[in-house]
Amino acid sequence: MTTTVEEILERKSHAVIRDPEVAPIVDLREELFELEARGEVIVQRVPENHVEVTTKFGRKKKIPIDHTWHHKSCGQCGHIPGYTSSIFWLHRQFDLDYLDPKDQTSCTGWNYYASGASNATAQAAVMSRNFAAAYETGYFPMIHCGTSYGHYKEVREQLIHHKGLRDEVRRVLDKMGKPLVIPEELVHYSEWIHVMRKRIAEKQTVDMSAITATVHPACHYYKIVVEDAIYDPEIYGGQRMATVTATLQALGMNVADYSTWYDCCGFGFRHILVQRDFTRSFANLRKIEVMKNEVNPDVTVTHDTGCVTTLDKSQFAAKAHDRKVGIPVLSDAQVSALAMGAHPFRVVQMHWHSTDWRPFMDKLGVDWQKYWDEFQGDLELIRSGQKAGITWEDADKPVVNVA
Amino acid sequence: MSSNKILVIGGGPAGLEAARSVAELGGEVILLEKRERLGGTPDRENYAKLTHHWRDASEAMAELAASVTSSARVEVKYNAEVKGMSGSAGNFNVEIEAGGVAESLNVGAVIVATGFQHFDPGRATQQYNYYTFPDVVTLTDLEKMLKDHHVVRPSNGEAPKKIAFIQCVGSRDRRIGNEYCSKVCCGIASKQAIELRELLPDSKVMIFYIDMRMYGYWENEIYWPAQEKYKVNYVKGVISEVLKKGDQLLIRGEDTTMGRPMEVTMDMVVLSIGMEPSAGTRAIAQTLGVKQNKYGFIEAGGEGGLDTVATSAPGVFVAGAAAGPADLNDSISMAGLAAARAVAAAQKVAA
Repeated sequence: MTTTVEEILERKSHAVIRDPEVAPIVDLREELFELEARGEVIVQRVPENHVEVTTKFGRKKKIPIDHTWHHKSCGQCGHIPGYTSSIFWLHRQFDLDYLDPKDQTSCTGWNYYASGASNATAQAAVMSRNFAAAYETGYFPMIHCGTSYGHYKEVREQLIHHKGLRDEVRRVLDKMGKPLVIPEELVHYSEWIHVMRKRIAEKQTVDMSAITATVHPACHYYKIVVEDAIYDPEIYGGQRMATVTATLQALGMNVADYSTWYDCCGFGFRHILVQRDFTRSFANLRKIEVMKNEVNPDVTVTHDTGCVTTLDKSQFAAKAHDRKVGIPVLSDAQVSALAMGAHPFRVVQMHWHSTDWRPFMDKLGVDWQKYWDEFQGDLELIRSGQKAGITWEDADKPVVNVA
Repeated sequence: MSSNKILVIGGGPAGLEAARSVAELGGEVILLEKRERLGGTPDRENYAKLTHHWRDASEAMAELAASVTSSARVEVKYNAEVKGMSGSAGNFNVEIEAGGVAESLNVGAVIVATGFQHFDPGRATQQYNYYTFPDVVTLTDLEKMLKDHHVVRPSNGEAPKKIAFIQCVGSRDRRIGNEYCSKVCCGIASKQAIELRELLPDSKVMIFYIDMRMYGYWENEIYWPAQEKYKVNYVKGVISEVLKKGDQLLIRGEDTTMGRPMEVTMDMVVLSIGMEPSAGTRAIAQTLGVKQNKYGFIEAGGEGGLDTVATSAPGVFVAGAAAGPADLNDSISMAGLAAARAVAAAQKVAA
């Protein structure tokens, strides 16, 4: 005869398997296909080479492996270029076909979230123009930025549910001679890393088993449109998003939990623009210091432009006040690239990160000084006019090997 | 060939009351129960005391079940399931399977009383970490512990000193599609809070709420005594997260009265889970071809909305939580009306 407590514990010992049939939210993709059947939109299909993952309510989402059109991030290119180059580097290591388009615009999502001077039609037209540009190439959009990803999901929902908006956007697109295209799935790069994590681990040359990491989940990834994020019974019992955590575990890291896991990084949606002091305080007091006090990680890893920037570049202010900070912040793309032996400066571009990353690199056993000297050599060649810049030929080859 | 027999589907409070009422009105009843015993959710989930009147749930359900099983006019079929139905009011042919044996029934009217299921906090409200932390429990978990007179933290077997109830878990939540109020959770949480304070006098009990919905006499019978006599604290604010802090739980949210965010550590957190249509309700709606509302409950109310037990199919009636969130008073009252309407519908055709 089991006791009540035993019953409760027994029930909790099973992973929650979700039934998509009783998902509480309609599947937008079905509505998207209905619109396509009525001739209102073109739905760009996920390429043949894809992996299916389970999302929050048990539905499947297709994540393309290759033939992807890379929708880059303003903040990554501007503040954390090693983030973008790591994503591309990983694709190149697996010899995957991808496109780095030159005609992609900002999503203007930040403008939207900061209540700027935009409007629904402009937001949706910008998104649709980018998706049309991808469609014309035949490559499938993969979105680097969490803000763009969340924003596009919101805009997609508006477009699906609002005929007036679709008509307005079509009018704008007509002027450019472009069709109204919405991809079958909106895919975030961290989902690609998630499905590639085992292959990344197979090529790992840097042992990360001594590392304790904390994960910061991006609000724009899993809170804005909740049903589209990856959940896995193996990760947090399927109770929290699996993205990032599963990758770090696949790379052998110890992922430590902390009590403000769910909190925003401090970036907010508009706070970084209109209440920057609040952002800085929040990032330090609610995230970095809590991690430091509770688990003292070697690194914190996240998967969005704003999160990396805010968590990393807010720490200088707290440090100036002698607060207990000092956790290097990287993206899952950079950590994956490091694990596979990417050059810490030519590819991962650690020098763009302001919180001291050297102890982390030391703990990995990476002789970062050697690679820094190499990088200085590159700069000297560029300075003297012998080189235009760093190329993939310089950066493709994995160089770090401390496994 | 018309039939005077009434088919009642479901042996919970509403089904039992419907069967009893039909029998008392002189009708013949076939009652189908999916399990091997009667009593429905209060029996299956081991309810302790019923709200209101504080009756022992087992005793109350046994009494209701006995009134049915002792009636010569009611035939109860256990482990039974409806497989299909054809015909119309006064002359329904219902294919069933009972105890593994297929059977055809000819009945004049049908009463659906397939009830509800408790919201599963793992399906959509994962942020409360029910499946992660042993000391996050549901109202039904705590109800069972209260029935055992043994309330402990599942993590360590010790009596909890600080207990928090979180209201509206799976109810009034537009994000997950359950926009409705489940009606009973506020009353049950307050009832359990009182029971906790009686059982564990040194404990501190807090209820975090959007607004407390204490219908009718629950206000004076439960809500005020909970505060005045049993010193239960009610805090107006939605809890956003339940996390671990050492060997305790940390709950975070907003105290809207004070207008500030808050963090409080607790030994045990009770999720006041709401109601959803049971799998049986969803399935029977499909089998009988009656309309469901957007939440999956059976649509009731008829054209004018006041025919509270009418479904979209003439001759098929609904009672209890199969039609939407309902407390026991609702269920029993609906069942009586459904019984009267079913008997009338069968007689009308027979005449």
